[in-house]
Amino acid sequence: MEQFFTLPFAVLEVPHLKIKRPSWLNQPSAMAMFSIVLASYFLVTGGIIYDVIVEPPSVGSTTGEHGHSRPYVAFMPYRVNGQYIMEGLASSFLFSLGGLGFIVLDHIHTTTTPKLNRLLITAVGFICVLVSFFTTWIFMRMKLPGYLQS
Amino acid sequence: MVQAGSKKSPISKINSKAGISSLIIFVVLLLAWIAGFASRLFAVIRFESIIHEFDPWFNYRATAYMVKHGFYNFLNWFDERAWYPLGRIVGGTVYPGLMLTSGSIHYILHLLHINVHIRDICVFLAPVFSGLTAISTYFLTKELWSAGAGLFAACFIAIVPGYISRSVAGSYDNEGIAIFALQFTYFLWIKSVKTGSVFWAVAASLSYFYMVSAWGGYVFIINLIPLHVFVLLLMGRYSNRLFTSYTTFYILGLIFSMQIPLVGFQPIRTSEHMAAAGVFALMFAVGILRYLQNMMTKSEFKSLVIFGGLASAGVVFLAVVILTYAGYVAPWSGRFYSLWDTGYAKIHIPIIASVSEHQPTTWFSFFFDLHVLVATFPAGLWYVIKNINDERVFVVLYALSAVYFAGVMVRLMLTLTPVVCILSGIAFSGLLELFLREDDVYHNEDSEEEEHSTPSKRLYDKLPKEAKSKLKSGKSVGNVKTPTPQVVGRVQKMKHEQSKESDGIGPNIRSVVTVVILLLLMLFAVHCTWVTSNAYSSPSIVLASYGSDGSRQILDDFREAYFWLSQNTDDDARVMSCFSNSCCIRVGLRLSNSRNGRNRTTLVDNNTWNNSHIALVGKAMSSNETAAYEIMTALDVDYVLVIFGGVIGYSGDDINKFLWMVRIAEGEHPKDIRESDYFTEHGEFRVDSEGSPTLLNCLMYKLSYYRFGELKLDYRTPAGFDRTRNAVIGNKDFQLTYLEEAYTTEHWLVRVYRVKKPDEFNRPRIPVANRVVKSPSFVSKKSTKRKKGFHKE
Repeated sequence: MEQFFTLPFAVLEVPHLKIKRPSWLNQPSAMAMFSIVLASYFLVTGGIIYDVIVEPPSVGSTTGEHGHSRPYVAFMPYRVNGQYIMEGLASSFLFSLGGLGFIVLDHIHTTTTPKLNRLLITAVGFICVLVSFFTTWIFMRMKLPGYLQS
Repeated sequence: MVQAGSKKSPISKINSKAGISSLIIFVVLLLAWIAGFASRLFAVIRFESIIHEFDPWFNYRATAYMVKHGFYNFLNWFDERAWYPLGRIVGGTVYPGLMLTSGSIHYILHLLHINVHIRDICVFLAPVFSGLTAISTYFLTKELWSAGAGLFAACFIAIVPGYISRSVAGSYDNEGIAIFALQFTYFLWIKSVKTGSVFWAVAASLSYFYMVSAWGGYVFIINLIPLHVFVLLLMGRYSNRLFTSYTTFYILGLIFSMQIPLVGFQPIRTSEHMAAAGVFALMFAVGILRYLQNMMTKSEFKSLVIFGGLASAGVVFLAVVILTYAGYVAPWSGRFYSLWDTGYAKIHIPIIASVSEHQPTTWFSFFFDLHVLVATFPAGLWYVIKNINDERVFVVLYALSAVYFAGVMVRLMLTLTPVVCILSGIAFSGLLELFLREDDVYHNEDSEEEEHSTPSKRLYDKLPKEAKSKLKSGKSVGNVKTPTPQVVGRVQKMKHEQSKESDGIGPNIRSVVTVVILLLLMLFAVHCTWVTSNAYSSPSIVLASYGSDGSRQILDDFREAYFWLSQNTDDDARVMSCFSNSCCIRVGLRLSNSRNGRNRTTLVDNNTWNNSHIALVGKAMSSNETAAYEIMTALDVDYVLVIFGGVIGYSGDDINKFLWMVRIAEGEHPKDIRESDYFTEHGEFRVDSEGSPTLLNCLMYKLSYYRFGELKLDYRTPAGFDRTRNAVIGNKDFQLTYLEEAYTTEHWLVRVYRVKKPDEFNRPRIPVANRVVKSPSFVSKKSTKRKKGFHKE
């Protein structure tokens, strides 16, 4: 048995190398993983793949009432399957903000801090959630003017 | 229950508590089922019990055939009406799970003498299965986290628009049952990883078999589960449980999946399935090494690993390369490439890129389909990553891959939705546990009447709306049941810490938080209902538009046209139409309008794997009339049908999709059709007088705008004004030589043309002298008197 797996080393001479496992190569911590995940989530929900494929402009422009072209229309209205780059990033920022808000709310128990801090944490978490929620709502109304009506 | 047991309550109390919690679970799941079923019925209530789009029509037709002629005849069915000159071997080219499911339901109901028409079963199959999906999601989430989270997840998936979009009543498609199979397979897989028992692994592979028979998306499972195993190996979480469950699952799943005619030998021959085989081999390698490790010294083992590892890796790699090269293993298919290299489809396979549900996803779709869940998804992921274990690794991988795929294709939003519901359920239950359990703890400390706290809380949670009350009770169950021992430990530690402090979070904050969360959930329910009602419930053969006063106007042109076709054309008439790119309706009804009991042959339908055929039709549409006539004669076409939205401003018509037709035609016939010919010099696609002459003379243009130049829609616009493209058309006066207009519907939405027979347009002119006029050889012998007739009695 032993001869069998030492057989190749009778022919080959093992070089005296010391390959150290690189110090940065270890299993990433849970939170590092999570931040990578969150960053990629931010990009994907912002439609980054759409941006790469379709290559829309970063913001749109429209024609004003006097025939001048009016720059900076942030949202591509009525188009469900289209977006400008900035609008996608803004919305996905809000999605991530909402997610972070929920996570902050969870922190209320991991801290052993006084009551005021708890209050602050709750407030911050809720502000994040609510701001993201209602701003997204407004975005939806810009995108789809009939949203939640009729 | 665990908690109750540890509190040394009397046994009767435990029993009553267990009874109450299982009652709550039952009621919540039932309500979720009913709510999910009810919210999918908009289309049936508004219109009628019909099947919606093209693919569902085809499935329905196949099902009806199977019910009528039996399963084996169905497998051998050669459908000569589809893809006209070629025909289609239906049994070998569909996933039969859908037909089998509804067929067996039909069979069972008829055994019980409940005579339901097969069409109604097909219409209501997807909504019923959504309830089953909710239940299997509950079980999956319960395995992953806790029963409370499971109830949340079940309620979410019952009404989330991302799933409703594929499972409204009448959309009788593979996805409707496949999501159930997907969730159930994952549940059984998690169960088998947890227990390591062969029983659960076999159950998982059986469920996988059902999934394979139902939907092509089974490839997702057979790649995700090996990925899970592989990551577990990387993390050093190898165990005998894992070994047992994976090897059992893989072997049985492999054999089962090969029983489906459409799949056949693919699982051992295509690269999509090779990852699973590789992990299977790896599993054995790791198992052997670990066994040897016990028997050898450390240095021996080391040299063995180095030598053996390198050698086996080289052998496996070479084998795969050689097999691929020799053609035994097919390389990745084009559809698969299009998932990774997103530009691939655009360049190589225009037919895939042309279908609008294969477009990349924008932020809007994420929010539209998931609403508040899109924000709670990261929170749920955070909970899961924080308390990771074997099965939670699985859900993390599921989430990551599904998010990526959903970003690539709108249609894969469907696979993202279940995992988002699971993670959001976890997030909400974790959150509410924090904010409500403490209440519980205090009650327990203050008064020993712990039973009292739960009902009071539930009363306090009472809210008017049904969906909310569901979610609500889900949460209160989450309080009753204890999720995992770790969490219990943490919470109880917290309790001690907090009791040292004066006060935790005050009851005020707690109630505010609860109310706000409930508000979010309520808005979620409102959003879901609105989206379902407005976006996902139109049968798409009926267009609904809203007037300025909010009244609903129904444009029923499609059904008008199909009815005309079924009444006025021969039974074997062949209708050519451009395949539909996005909403894939049209050809469908024409093909089989079963309410009229008449079938028409269709040349090209929405199925996208007969590329050259579609290219031929595309070529006919994009060349001029003479060239098109040759193709149409070759294809033996009787009628041509186009969708035209210029009168009412319907943007999904054939002119707008015309470029895709040109691209597909160009892919197959690059010499005759060039996409650049259809653009102006500035690279614009326009139909007015500045448009390119090739475009203005092609068949599609002529058919769409024939006699349109005479039509004046209102006083402000000139004649021939196209409302969809906001332009006056460029080529107004032209006649059709080879076709004649047969029928145009009320709003010009559907226009049908008859292809003339050769003798109708190129009948040679005969000089007057040579004309032979048939003289009436029959002369009546009746005289005026005798012309009176009489009835024979």
